[in-house]
Amino acid sequence: MIAALSSEWLKIRTTRTIFWLLVALAGLITLIVVSSILAGDKESLARATNQRDLLGIGILSVLIALIMGLIVSTGEFRHGTITPTLLSTPSRPLVVISKAIAAVLLGVTLVALAELLVVAEMAALLPLRGIDFVLDGGDAARVVIRILAISAIWAAIGSGLGLAFKNQIGTFVGCFAWLFLAEGLVQAILSSHWIKSHAGRFLPLSSTSSILNNNATNAKEHMLSYWGGAAALSGWMLLATILALILLSRRDVS
Amino acid sequence: MIAVEDLRKRYGKTLAVDGLSFTVEPGRVVGFLGPNGAGKTTTLRILLGLVHANSGEATILGKHYGQLERPFCQVGAVLEASGFHPGRKARNHLRVLARAGRAPVKRVDEVLALVGLEGAAKKRVGGYSLGMRQRLALASALLGDPGVLILDEPANGLDPEGIRWLRDFLRSLADEGRAVLVSSHVLAEVEQTVDEVVIINKGKFVAHGSVEELKRGVEERVKVSSPKAKELEAKLVKAGFEVSEDGNALLVAGATCAQVGEIAAKSSLVLHELTPLATQLEDVFFDLTSEEQT
Repeated sequence: MIAALSSEWLKIRTTRTIFWLLVALAGLITLIVVSSILAGDKESLARATNQRDLLGIGILSVLIALIMGLIVSTGEFRHGTITPTLLSTPSRPLVVISKAIAAVLLGVTLVALAELLVVAEMAALLPLRGIDFVLDGGDAARVVIRILAISAIWAAIGSGLGLAFKNQIGTFVGCFAWLFLAEGLVQAILSSHWIKSHAGRFLPLSSTSSILNNNATNAKEHMLSYWGGAAALSGWMLLATILALILLSRRDVS
Repeated sequence: MIAVEDLRKRYGKTLAVDGLSFTVEPGRVVGFLGPNGAGKTTTLRILLGLVHANSGEATILGKHYGQLERPFCQVGAVLEASGFHPGRKARNHLRVLARAGRAPVKRVDEVLALVGLEGAAKKRVGGYSLGMRQRLALASALLGDPGVLILDEPANGLDPEGIRWLRDFLRSLADEGRAVLVSSHVLAEVEQTVDEVVIINKGKFVAHGSVEELKRGVEERVKVSSPKAKELEAKLVKAGFEVSEDGNALLVAGATCAQVGEIAAKSSLVLHELTPLATQLEDVFFDLTSEEQT
């Protein structure tokens, strides 16, 4: 397991894709933090809660984590490296699990780097406008831990879906169509006048939103508690991983 | 060392491998030959656990590839020259495989030197020529210093110098006691490299033996030319030989030079050329696979 995981991590580190995605992430974060601080209301920015909310920008890394999860898996089929991968690690379940763990580590690393960047930029820019940097450590940790968990899970979902469906463009299009279009539609249909179901709370984006925006106890009709959201999103991760296990184990690699 | 027994693989309506059986012993270089679509690559991929067989057994060292204790260090394989991420450097590609396959990391530089790629080790594989990729694939196969090598068309993309290098290289690997199974469509190349050949066609076993043994089963041929070619041809056909035209000369199957010479002398026909044609592996291959098709 350690050999396979170490190899997967080395794969991630030894192409330029991760570098350019990190650059894109850093650029986006910088753009948002700088514009928020320079153009934001001074009084509002001085409040600890609003400074904490700026850490929420780190959620952008979730998208990058999903993209990386998809790339590390579908890339194996796109470049034909699945053959040497399976020759060096013939156990297909081991390949699926080591890729999922590597994706989780990647997701956590991305968020950690993103949040460090946000904090550094806040610490540098707020005093320029004469605002004290008053971020509450405990509050900040709660936000960052939630984003870390979400990012890790989405990276593993990407890895699982990539191994299950193998076609890079198709899997990307499918994922983004779900995120930006289909889930909203399904959500609307489920909660419509005719169906009146709250099952939409369990969908991936709704679960993510529950982890990010809710607290431990107040499950609502349209939102789970954050524990409920974490359980639901973990369920989607498990489903993607099981799908990858079944499809990759049955597939002929030719 | 390598054993294939009654192997079958079906893709939809196509039976890619149909009851195939053969073995490869240590210290031997065995050519695995067959026309395109004969089932060579499918057989090799089943041996390596990449493709699932419908029935039969394909084992290496008595076990399925995935059941070997350290498969990557026991069996080296070259299957295609496209299993590389173009953005990854050659050395890193090998490091990735060494880690996963639990091969010693120091082997990375050793195998790069062995295949002559040490100077290009830090170049991204996307910038490699086909020949360089083929050498890198060979380096990957040798990372674990395996006792068994399975190579699918390893000469593809190599220049004449590279092909000669590969030939000597495979020979030296077999001399070290390794079993080498090498598929190729460059028959002349295989003939100079292998100890024996396994020939398959349409997924079925056709022949297995040393090149010399198989050549003995093919009729001798003689090339003869005469200013009175038509007259000579008639005499040879009358004597029961199969004759075909080859430019201005005649090709006589199943005859020796002495027999052709005697027939010409009896008829007082002048000969300009009388040459025994050495049987090539190509002749054996076409002879056996065409028999199979008819």
